[in-house]
Amino acid sequence: MLDRVRRDVERNALRARNGIKLVAGVDRPGVGCTAKDVVWQRGRSQLWHYRNDLDAHGGVRHSPPLLIVFSMVSRSYILDLQPGNSFVEQLLTAGFDVYMLDWGEPDERDAQNRLEDYVDDYIPAAVDRVLEISGCGEVNLFGYCFGGDLALLYAAHHPDAPLRSLSVLATPVDFRHMGPLADIFRVGGLEVDQVVDVDGNVPPRVVLQGFKSLTPTAEVTRYVTLWERLWSDEYVNAYQAMTGWSDDHVPFPGAAARETVDMLVRANGMLTDRLAIAGDRVHLSDVRVPFLTVLAERDHIVPPDATAPLIDLVGSPDRHELRLPAGHMGLVVGRTAARTTVPTIISFLERRSDEVSPAPSVRPAAAEA
Amino acid sequence: MSEAPLWRQAFDAVEHRVTPHADRLTRTPGFARGVTLLRRTQLLARDTVQGATARAWHLVNLPAGSDVARLRAQLGALDREVRRLNLQLETERRRAGAAGTETDDAHAADATDGARPGPPRRRAQRPPRA
Repeated sequence: MLDRVRRDVERNALRARNGIKLVAGVDRPGVGCTAKDVVWQRGRSQLWHYRNDLDAHGGVRHSPPLLIVFSMVSRSYILDLQPGNSFVEQLLTAGFDVYMLDWGEPDERDAQNRLEDYVDDYIPAAVDRVLEISGCGEVNLFGYCFGGDLALLYAAHHPDAPLRSLSVLATPVDFRHMGPLADIFRVGGLEVDQVVDVDGNVPPRVVLQGFKSLTPTAEVTRYVTLWERLWSDEYVNAYQAMTGWSDDHVPFPGAAARETVDMLVRANGMLTDRLAIAGDRVHLSDVRVPFLTVLAERDHIVPPDATAPLIDLVGSPDRHELRLPAGHMGLVVGRTAARTTVPTIISFLERRSDEVSPAPSVRPAAAEA
Repeated sequence: MSEAPLWRQAFDAVEHRVTPHADRLTRTPGFARGVTLLRRTQLLARDTVQGATARAWHLVNLPAGSDVARLRAQLGALDREVRRLNLQLETERRRAGAAGTETDDAHAADATDGARPGPPRRRAQRPPRA
C-alpha cells in the first residue's frame, strides 16, 4: 500500500514536469535527423540525398539507388522520425543509396499545380537528377501513401521510364473505402472550391479535420492515454514525435485536389481504369516493372479495402503484396516496421538490386536552384 | 505488468461502446451531407460579408481582399507556367546532352565497326488510347 502511494506521488511529480514541458513546447524531440543534402530544387519541391557514409551506415552496397516519392498532404519526416526509429536510417544501414522527393509546403504559387505537374515534370526531373548523381541507368521507385499514387501514375504514363522496380506503401486505389474524407465529396457533393483557402489550396486544417473524422473518438482517447502515461519520458517523447507529425499537415494544391476528387474519388479512376494525365489516357496495367504493394490491416487512414485491389490492377508479371498487422504509421515507425515492414521491403529491393562494393554515397556540389 | 487503474478501465469500457457508433455515424451519407450543408452555410455567410466589404472598398476606389486573391491566383498561375517551362527546358537539355553523348559514341563506333546510332534513350510518349 505504502509502495503504491509512493509510486503515485513519484508519477504525479513526473506528470507535472512532463506536462509543463509539453505545454511550454520545450525539449521537443528532434525529427528528420538523418544527414542529407538538397541535390535538386524547383519551387517548393526538393530532392534530398541521404548520406550513406562508410562509418555511419556501412556505405552504399546496392545499386540502383532508391527514390522515395512522398505524399502531398503530410510531412516527410515520418519516414525519418527519430534516430533508431527511422525507415530511411534502416534503408541506409541495409546499403541503399536513398533519395527522397519532398513536396515542401505549397503556397499560392502552387494552387494551379495539376497532377501532371508532379507526374510529368517533377518526378521525371527528380529521376533524371538521381541518375545523373549516381551514374546509374535505373532507379528503384518507392511511393508512400498518396506519393504511391503519384508513383503509379508516373510509371503508367511513362512505360519507358528507367525503373528497376516500383514499391508502394499504403497507397489507395479504391476511393469508395476512404471513409468520410472522400465521402463528403463523393456522397455529400461538396466541391473542392468550397474548402480552398484564399491562397487557392486546401488548407492543412481541412486535411486534419478530414483525418480526425475518420476516428472521431481517437482524440479523446489520445489525451486520456497521455494523462495515464505522462510520467514516462519515453512515452512523452514518442507522443510528441508521433502526434507532432499526425497534426502537422501541408496545404494540398487546389487544382491537384480538384483533379484528385473528380478523377480518383468520384470516378474512382484507379479502379475503373478512367485515368488521364495531361490529356492522355493512363492505364495501371501499363506498369510492367517488378512491383510490391504493402498494406496495413489496421490502417484507419487508408483502409485495406482501399489498397487491396491494387495488386490486380498493375500489369507487372513480377508482383507481390504484403499485408501487415499494423496501422498507417505503424508501417514505417515502431517495432512492427523495424521487425517486418522494412526488412520485407529491403529483401524485395535487394533481390532487384545489384551488389556493389561498399562506398560512401556520392555528394554533389550543390543543389540546382 | 500492472493492471490499468479503475478510472482507465471505466473510460475504456465507455470508449469501446461509443467508438463503433461514432465511427459508423461519420461514415453515413447523412454525415457527409450534413458536413456539406454546414460548409455551404458558412460560405454563404462569409461571401455575404465579403461581398459587402468589397463593395465598400470599391466605392472609395480601393482594391478589396477578393481582388488581391484574384491577383495572387494569376501570379500563381504565371509562376507555375514559368516553372513548368523551366523544367521541360531542363529535361530537353539533359536529353539533348544524352543524345549528343550517344551520337558521339556512335560516331566513334561508326569509325570502327560501322554500327548505327541508337534512338534517344527513353520516355517516348505513348499515343492516347481511345
